[in-house]
Amino acid sequence: MAIQWWQILILTLYAGYQILDELQVYTGLAQPVFAGLIAGLVMGDVTTGLIIGGSMQLTVLGVGTFGGASRIDANSGTVIATAFSVGIGMDPEQAIAAIAVPVAGLMIQMDILGRFANTFFANRIDTKIEEMDYKGIERNFLMGALSWGLSRAIPVFLALSFGGGFVNSLVSVLNNQLQWLGDGLSVAGAVMPAVGFAVLLRYLPVKKHMPYLILGFVITALLTTVFGNIQLLGDTVGSVVEDFSNGFISMPMLAIALIGFALAFREYKRTVETPNVPTENSGITSNEGEIEDDEL
Amino acid sequence: MTNSKYKLTKEDFKQINKRSLFGFQLGWNYERMQGSGYLYTILPQLRKMYGDDTPELKEMMKTHAQFFNTSNFFNTVITGIDMAIEEKEGIDAQDTVAGLKAGLMGPFAAIGDSIFGALLPTIFGALAANMAINGNPIGAIIWMVVNFGVMFFRWQQLEFAYKEGVELVTTMQHRLSALTDAATMLGVFMVGALVATMVNVEIAWAPTIAGLTIDVQNNLDMIMPRLIPALVVGAIYWLLGKEKMTSTKAIFIVLIVSIALSALGIVG
Repeated sequence: MAIQWWQILILTLYAGYQILDELQVYTGLAQPVFAGLIAGLVMGDVTTGLIIGGSMQLTVLGVGTFGGASRIDANSGTVIATAFSVGIGMDPEQAIAAIAVPVAGLMIQMDILGRFANTFFANRIDTKIEEMDYKGIERNFLMGALSWGLSRAIPVFLALSFGGGFVNSLVSVLNNQLQWLGDGLSVAGAVMPAVGFAVLLRYLPVKKHMPYLILGFVITALLTTVFGNIQLLGDTVGSVVEDFSNGFISMPMLAIALIGFALAFREYKRTVETPNVPTENSGITSNEGEIEDDEL
Repeated sequence: MTNSKYKLTKEDFKQINKRSLFGFQLGWNYERMQGSGYLYTILPQLRKMYGDDTPELKEMMKTHAQFFNTSNFFNTVITGIDMAIEEKEGIDAQDTVAGLKAGLMGPFAAIGDSIFGALLPTIFGALAANMAINGNPIGAIIWMVVNFGVMFFRWQQLEFAYKEGVELVTTMQHRLSALTDAATMLGVFMVGALVATMVNVEIAWAPTIAGLTIDVQNNLDMIMPRLIPALVVGAIYWLLGKEKMTSTKAIFIVLIVSIALSALGIVG
């Protein structure tokens, strides 16, 4: 139908490759924003891909693969959501909440399966060590690429090949009988990044750096309001006055990041210049630790 | 003694780096996690050091296939220190090396996760996502360039660690913890900035009291712009602190609550 066989093929190959990239060389191709970009390019609508990929990126911002825990697979979710959003014509924000997030959640099971399959190869390696079969060790190690790659490629292939009819009827229902649900999914898509931020705050030492959280929020909230209002004003004036060319830009996020960087740089300098307190003789460290140290 | 006189060469470093960069986590499994990956990266060097088909080699292969799990951005630091010791002491270093690996994998996992797992993806992911949502792929490209810089850094650390040896850990500790501190500070700042721009939800509810329609969102904006996104993130933060709560569960709870509030006409 709307998704061609070669598009399915490329997206399936990408889905298999991206997890290997993520695990090893880490070019960034395995990030949701790239999944969206690539899926968008393949499907012929980069903007939709970027919107879905960008939102999914923010949703998983703080969700890392720490200590080998499985996390939701935002990439596969992005690929499938982008393909259907472009192929069938679904509102991107609806596609995020209705396809990308549920798919990403379901894919956790595939991640667990892939990691589990590798246990089999690990045990074969033990046997090969006993046999001093060096090639065998390496072969069984590299076979892990199969469990990883297939755990992503197979579900993406199946979803793209056979999911079309389902998504098609889903879209028509969301736009007609269940309008409220369609609207709700759009709102949910817009709120999703909040989860990523909250997870990240759980992971970062937020209590220690609380002032900077407030600074970052307030500076940006004020500037984004100012920039947004100026743009709105420009649009409005532009629609009334013909000679007026609206050259107002939106708020550059990089500028905000640089303010943060300046603060962090100061913090780093300050910490490095504080002499390293020797911990060996910590037995005598009390509130007046420095004075007692001098007496030694 | 079979403690050979083999010295690691540039070629060896290159081989270890290549194997680490392109294969380190392929064999990740629940039983011993990166255990087989650690063995795979140094297998050719072990064979050169101990010689093929010697009992020492088998012993060391078994040692290096044991449980191991650290940041895949710092694993070669541990490998470098390990190689320096084994090269000097051979099989006698078996216990030292096993202890060293177990002792270092935790701290390096923590530093690696906070810098490469959380911080860089936050800053550059946020920039990339921010631009992407406006239809601009430049942010994503910038991120990729940064990642290639990280790869260069990963390539360098093996030889560096090999030369510095165990002292590296103690001399670098202060600097690394200062870096982590500054990095997490920047991360927190950026999250604040992101909350203010990337969560697009407003109050749609506008009650009419005695013929007067109250625009709730407008009133909130006068108190503090973007107050609702901040409250939403705060609520999810609180939710995540609950026992048995995972990020996946939180995502689905937010999904359902958003749909419900939207259906009731409270948010939009």
